[in-house]
Amino acid sequence: MQIILTYLIPILGSTVYMATPLIFAGVGGAFSVRGGVMALGLESMLMCGAFCGVAGSFYTGSTAVGFLCGILGGTLIALLHAILCVRYRVNQVISGVGLNLLATAATTLMMQVIWNNKGSSEMVASVESMIGGPIPILNVQSFNFFVMLAVVALGWVTLFRTRYGLRLRMVGENPKAASAVGLRVHALKYSGVLICGALAGYGGAFLSLDQLNMFVRGMTAGRGYIAVAIVILGRYNPVNIVACALLFGFCDAVQIYLQGQGVPAQLIQMLPYLVTLIVLAVGVKRIQPPAGVGKHETD
Amino acid sequence: MKTSAKRILPRLWQSMERGGITISLAALLISLVCSAVILAVCGYDPLEAYAAIVTGAFGSQRGFAQMLTQATPLIFTGLAFTFAKKASLINLGVEGQMYMGALGAALVGTLDLGLPSLLHVLAAMLSGVIFGAAYGAVIGILKVKFGSNEVVAGVMLNSIATYIVGYLLNGPLLAAGSSVAQTEKVLTTAQLPRIFARYQVTVAIFIAIAACILIKWFIGKTTLGYEIRCVGLNRKAAETAGIRIGKALIVAMCVSGGIAGLAGVNQVLGVDRRLINSFSPGYGFNGIAVAALAADDPIGVIFAGVICGILRAGAMELNRTTGIPVEFVDVIQAMIVIFVSAPLLIKKLAKVRDVFPGGKKHAAAKEA
Repeated sequence: MQIILTYLIPILGSTVYMATPLIFAGVGGAFSVRGGVMALGLESMLMCGAFCGVAGSFYTGSTAVGFLCGILGGTLIALLHAILCVRYRVNQVISGVGLNLLATAATTLMMQVIWNNKGSSEMVASVESMIGGPIPILNVQSFNFFVMLAVVALGWVTLFRTRYGLRLRMVGENPKAASAVGLRVHALKYSGVLICGALAGYGGAFLSLDQLNMFVRGMTAGRGYIAVAIVILGRYNPVNIVACALLFGFCDAVQIYLQGQGVPAQLIQMLPYLVTLIVLAVGVKRIQPPAGVGKHETD
Repeated sequence: MKTSAKRILPRLWQSMERGGITISLAALLISLVCSAVILAVCGYDPLEAYAAIVTGAFGSQRGFAQMLTQATPLIFTGLAFTFAKKASLINLGVEGQMYMGALGAALVGTLDLGLPSLLHVLAAMLSGVIFGAAYGAVIGILKVKFGSNEVVAGVMLNSIATYIVGYLLNGPLLAAGSSVAQTEKVLTTAQLPRIFARYQVTVAIFIAIAACILIKWFIGKTTLGYEIRCVGLNRKAAETAGIRIGKALIVAMCVSGGIAGLAGVNQVLGVDRRLINSFSPGYGFNGIAVAALAADDPIGVIFAGVICGILRAGAMELNRTTGIPVEFVDVIQAMIVIFVSAPLLIKKLAKVRDVFPGGKKHAAAKEA
C-alpha cells in the first residue's frame, strides 16, 4: 500500500501529463489520415506550435495568447503540408519529412534572431497552477487536462457521428468515388490536415508552455514520430489513440522517475523510443490504413 | 553552326529533363531565393551572406579543405538515402546507421590488433560498414516481417543509436582522464590518411566518389540491382515477375546502412580520429537534401554533396564573421527537399512552358 502511494500514484499522474501532448497530436493525426493525408509532418506541427506558443507568450506576456499562437503555428505548417500534398501532389512522406527538417532548422534560426541564443529561449509566462483537489492523479494536471478530454470526445463525435466526419472518411477511403458523388474532395482534405495542424500546434504549445516555460532547441525530440506510431496503433480512432498515448506517457513517466536512480541516464532515456519500436514491430501487422491514403481523386 | 546548336540544345534540355536535373537546379535556385528573403526579414544582408559563403568555401585553402571535409559525409549519407529510395524506401535512419558505423570503426580502431597499417584501417572500416549495415537491416526486417512504417522505425532507431553511443562514451568507452565524452584516440595504424597534413579532409572523399560510381553500376548492371529497382518502381509487378520482395527490401536497407556507416567511419578514423559524442551536426538528415538535389542519381550525389558541402563550409565561415547560425543552411536544404519533390509547384513558379517535344510526357510521368 505504501509503495503504491509513494511510487505508483505520482508515476500515473505524470503518465497522463506526458501523454497529453501525444493525445493532442494523435487525435489531429487521426483527422489527417482519415482524410487520406499521411500525418508524418506531425513533428513539424508540434515543433512550430511549441515555438510559436513561446513566441506569443514572450511578446504579449499572456499564456492564452501563447496557446493561440501555438494553434496558429501548427495550422500554418499544416497549410503548407496540405498545399503541397493536395494541390501539388507531392509524395506525402517526403513532404512531411521535408517540413520536419524545415521546422527544426527554422525554429533554431528564429531563436537566434529573437533571443540571440540558439539553444533555448528566455523563460516566458506559462501555465503555473495545477488543478489540485483530493483526487490523486488528477490533481497534478493543469486545465489542459479538460481541454484534452474535450478534444478527444469532440474528435470522436466529429469523425464518427457527423455528416462531415462521414464525408471526410469517405474521401480518405476512396477519393475518386467521393469526387464522383459530388463531395468537395480538396476542401475536405484541407480541412482534415488543418484540424490536424491546429491540434498538434496546441499539443506543441502544451510542451513548451505547460510542461516547460520556454522553447528548447529540438524540444519535440521525435514525439511527432511517436505520435504517428500512436495514430497507427490506435487505428485512427481518437478513443483508442488515448489508450496508446497513455502507454507511451507511462514509458516517459517511468523514464523520468528512473533518472537519478543509479541506472545510466542514456539507457533510461532510450525507453520511449525502444517501446515505440517494439510496439511498431508486434502491434501493427494487421492494421490497414484508410484505403485512399496518398491517392488523388483523379487516380 | 546555328543549326547544330538548334539540334543539340533541345536534346541537352531533354536529357536534363529526363534526369530531373532541371527540377533540381530550379529547386536549388528557388530555395536560395526564399532563404534570402528569410535572411532579409531577419535583418541580415542576403547578398553579403551568399558572397561570404562562396568566398568561405573557395577563398582560402583552409576553406576549400573544410568544404571537402563537409562534403565527404554528405556524399555518403546522400548516397545511402538514394540507394534506399531506389527500392522506394525512405531511409530516415541514416543518422543512426552513421552513428553505429562510427561506433564499429572506433571499437576496432582503438584496439591494438598488431596488424600492419593498411590491414588495420580496412578492418576498422569493415567493422563500421557491418555495424551500419546490420543497423540498417533492422529497419528492413521490421518493414518486411512486421509491416512497420520504415520512417517511424528509422527515427526511433536514430534516437536509440545516439543514446547507445552516448552511454558507451560516458561509461565503458570513455577515454581515461577525459572530461568530454569521447573514446581514446584511434591508433595510428587505423587512421585514414589526410590529403593535406594541416586539414581534416581525408582520402575518404575518393572512397565516397568511388562508392557513388560503384552503386551506379550496381543498380544499373547487376541482377540484384535490377530487382531492387523493380521493387521500387512497382512492387506488385515485381512480385508477379517472381522477384522476392522481402529479400530485395532488406538487401537495399543493408547496403544503404553500410554506406551510411562509412560516413561515420570517416569521421572517426579520419576527421576527429576518435569517436566524439554528437559528432554529427545532422549529416544523416542533410543526406536527404543531397539525394533530392541529385535527383536520386548516384553520380549526381557527388555534385549535390559538394554543393551542400560548399553551403555548410561557407556557413561555418559566415557564422564566424556575422553570427548567422549554421542552421541557416539546414533551412535551405529543407526547402530543397520540399521543392524538388514538388515539380508541379516549380513548373508553376518558374512558368516553364513545355516548349520541347517530350517535355509534357515527362511531366505527366513524374506526376504519376
